[in-house]
Amino acid sequence: MKTKYLIGFLIILAAIGYLAWGGLGNSLVYYVLPSEYADNPTKYEGKRVRLGGLVKEGSVHFNPKTLELKFVVTDGVVEIPVEHTGTPPELFKDNQGVVVEGHFVGDVFEGDNLLIKHSESYQAPPEGGYSPDEVRKLLEDAK
Amino acid sequence: MIPAAIGNFSLIVAVLFSLIGLLAAVAAWWSKDARYIVIARRSAFVAFLGTLGAFMALEWALLTDDFSVIYVARNSTRANPTWVKFATLWAALEGSILLWALLQTLYTWLAGRKMRDYWTSPVALGTLFVIQLFFLVNVLFVINPFIVLPNPPSDGPGPNPLLQNHWMMAVHPILMYLGFVGLSVPFAFAIAAMWTRRYQTWVTETKWWLLVAWGFLTAAIYAGGWWSYEVLGWGGYWGWDPVENASFIPWLLSTAFLHTAMVQERRGLFRTWNFALVTLSFAATVFGTFLTRSGVIESVHAFAGGPVGPIFLGFLLVILAVGFTLLGRVSSEVRDVGSVHPLSREGMLLFGALVLITMAFVVILGTLFPLLVEAFNGAKVSVGAPFFNQLFVPLGYLMLILMGLGPVLPWRKPEPETLRVVVWMTIALVIGTALGLVIGWTLWVSLTVGLVLFNLVALAWLTFSPVWRRARATGRSPLQVLISQFSHSRRRYGGYTVHLGVIIAALAIAFSQSYRLDVQKTLEIGESWNVVGRTLTVHKLRLLREEYRDSVVADVEISGLGEVHPRLNYYRSSRTPFASPAVTYTWLKDYYVVLQAFDQEKGSWVTLRLVVTPLVLWLWISAGIVIFGILMILWPGGAPARAPAAATEGVSA
Repeated sequence: MKTKYLIGFLIILAAIGYLAWGGLGNSLVYYVLPSEYADNPTKYEGKRVRLGGLVKEGSVHFNPKTLELKFVVTDGVVEIPVEHTGTPPELFKDNQGVVVEGHFVGDVFEGDNLLIKHSESYQAPPEGGYSPDEVRKLLEDAK
Repeated sequence: MIPAAIGNFSLIVAVLFSLIGLLAAVAAWWSKDARYIVIARRSAFVAFLGTLGAFMALEWALLTDDFSVIYVARNSTRANPTWVKFATLWAALEGSILLWALLQTLYTWLAGRKMRDYWTSPVALGTLFVIQLFFLVNVLFVINPFIVLPNPPSDGPGPNPLLQNHWMMAVHPILMYLGFVGLSVPFAFAIAAMWTRRYQTWVTETKWWLLVAWGFLTAAIYAGGWWSYEVLGWGGYWGWDPVENASFIPWLLSTAFLHTAMVQERRGLFRTWNFALVTLSFAATVFGTFLTRSGVIESVHAFAGGPVGPIFLGFLLVILAVGFTLLGRVSSEVRDVGSVHPLSREGMLLFGALVLITMAFVVILGTLFPLLVEAFNGAKVSVGAPFFNQLFVPLGYLMLILMGLGPVLPWRKPEPETLRVVVWMTIALVIGTALGLVIGWTLWVSLTVGLVLFNLVALAWLTFSPVWRRARATGRSPLQVLISQFSHSRRRYGGYTVHLGVIIAALAIAFSQSYRLDVQKTLEIGESWNVVGRTLTVHKLRLLREEYRDSVVADVEISGLGEVHPRLNYYRSSRTPFASPAVTYTWLKDYYVVLQAFDQEKGSWVTLRLVVTPLVLWLWISAGIVIFGILMILWPGGAPARAPAAATEGVSA
C-alpha cells in the first residue's frame, strides 16, 4: 500500500521536475552586449534576449504618430539596429545606457521592452568611444 | 544630535533587557522556578519599550529634519509631506530592520504574557529573545541608523520616489513585517516543543499567532499587488519579481503549515511535517530579507559588498540548523501513529501541503537560478515570467481540485454521502468547462471556470446541508439556523469564506492573465480615439506644482466612464519621471490609462497607453473576502476549543 503512493508521488515529482527543467530552458532570458552576440549569433536565435549597450549618437528615429522607434545599440565595437514600438522613456537619448528585451529577427533586434540604465552622476563619453568592458561596467553600475 | 543619543541609549536598553530576559529564561529552564519566567516576561516588556524609544527617536529625527543623523541625511528631504517623512523610517535598510526589531520585541512581549509553565515557556521565550537580539544587535552595531554626521548636510536626497508615489507604500511594509515577525512565535513554540518533547499541544497554542501572521502576510501580498497595479504603471499586479517572490515563499510555506497544523490538532498526525514546515516558513522570512536586502539578486558579486548579506545568510543557516537538528534528534519519537487514507480530509490536506511546498520550491528555483548560472559560468540570465506561469498553472489547478475535495471529505475515510457530493461537484466541473469552451474562452480559462464551480458546489453543500438538516430537526426556519450556525462555528465558516475568496481570486487571475488588451496611441489635444467600444478624448494637458514634486496631468475623458487624470510625476531627487496611471474599474473590466509621453515644447500632443484587463476588481474584492474570513476565525468569543471533544466542532478545512 505504502509503495503504491510512493510511486505515485515520485511520478508526480518527476513530471514537475521535467516541466521545471524544460520551463527553465525555454524561459531563460540571456543578457548580452552586441559584441557577445556577434561572437555567436546562432546561440541566441529565436530566444528571448536582453540586449545591453549604448544608444549610438544620431541613430534615434522616432515617429510619435505611429510610435515607431528605431535606433542603434552599440558597445563601441559592434552595432545592432533595434526596432521597438512604443514611446521611448523620458531619459532616452544619445549615448544613454539601455537594455532592450526582445528577440533577433535576422540582423535586426525587435524589442518589446525598453529600459534606461542611467547612473545619477552623468559622465561625458571618453575620447575615442567606449570599449565593451567599459560599457558593461557602466550598465552594471547604473540602476 | 539629541534624537541620535536617545536612539542609541534606547537600543542599548533593549539589548540589555533582551539579554537579561534570555538569562532569566535559561535560569527558569535550569531551576524549574516559574519566578524567573516572570522576570523574563517583564524584561521582554522593557526591551519592547527600549526598541519603541529607538523607533520614536528616529521618527523624531525624520520629522524634525535632523540631518546630523545619518539615516535622515541619506533617506529624507525637507520638502516631503509629513506622512512621507514618517514612512521614510522603513524606506531603507537600517530603518526597516529597526521596525522589524520593534515588531519582534512587541510579539515577544505579547506572546510571553500568557506563558506560565516552567517547562516549555523558558525555551519558547529564550528562542524569541535570541531572535530579537539578532535584530537589535544588528541595528545597534552593524547598520546603526543613529550615527551622527560631523558635518550634517542642509538637506537630503529623499527616499526612492517610487515609495513616495502612493500612501500604500507606507502600509504595505508594515503588514509584511507583521506577517514575517508573527511566524517567529509558532517557530519558537515548535523549538520549545522539540526541546521539551511535548510534541502535540504547541500547534493548538500557536494557532492564533499563526493565523494572525498568515493574515498579515496575505494582506501584505494583496497590498503589494494593488500598489504594483495602481502605482507602478506597467498594467499588472504581479511580475514574478524577486522582491515579490521573497514575500510569496513564506506565504506558500505558512499556508501549507496552516493546513497540516489542523491535522495535528485534530488527529495528532503530521507532527514531523509541522516541525519542518514551521522551521521552513520562518526561515523563508529571513531568506526573503536576505534576497531583497543583500543585493544578491542584481548580481552575486553584490553579496560581498555589504555586511547584511552574510549576516542574514548566517542567521538563515542557524535557524535551519537548529530546527532540523532538533527534529533529527527527536524524529523517532514524533513519528505518526495513525495512518492516512488518501481519500480523507487529512489526505487532501497532505496533498495540498505537498503542492504548496512544490510551488515554494518552484519560486525558489526560479529566483535563484540566475545566481547559479552566473556563479558557474558567468553568463547573465534572468528567468522570465513564462517559467513561473507554466508551472503555476498546473499546480494551481491541482490546488483548486484539492481545495474543493478537502473540506467535503470526512476525516479518516470517505463516506458514501460525501462521494455523492463529489459526483455533483464533478458534474459542475464538466458543465463549467464545457460552457466556457462553448462561449469561446481558452481551454485554461474554461477549466478554471469549471473548477470554480466545482468549489462553489462544495462550499454550498458544506454551508447549507447542515443548515437544512438542523432546520428540519428543530423546526426553525433555515435562515435562523444559518445565522446561528455562522455565529456559532465561526472558525469553520471563516475557513469557508477564505476559500471562497481564493476561488474568486483564481477566477480573476485566470481572466486577467488571459484577456488583456494593451494599446498605445499619440493624440492631439482635443482629438478622440475610438477603441474597445469606448471613446477617449484628450481635453487638456496641464502642469501641477506641488511642494515636493511637479506633475504633468492629462485630462482624458472616457465615454460613459467620466474623466480620468493620468499623470507624470517629477520628483526632485530623480531625473526620471514616474507615471501615475488612472484606473477606472467596472464590474467586468477596468480601463487603465497611462500618460506615456507628451509634447514638451508646445504641449500639443500626448501619447496614451490604454490597458483593458477583465475582472481585476474581483481580485481586490477577493482580498476583502479573504481578510473578512480570517477576521471571522480570529474574532474572540464563539465556541472555544476547550477540550479535544469541543475542538472537533471548530475544525475547518
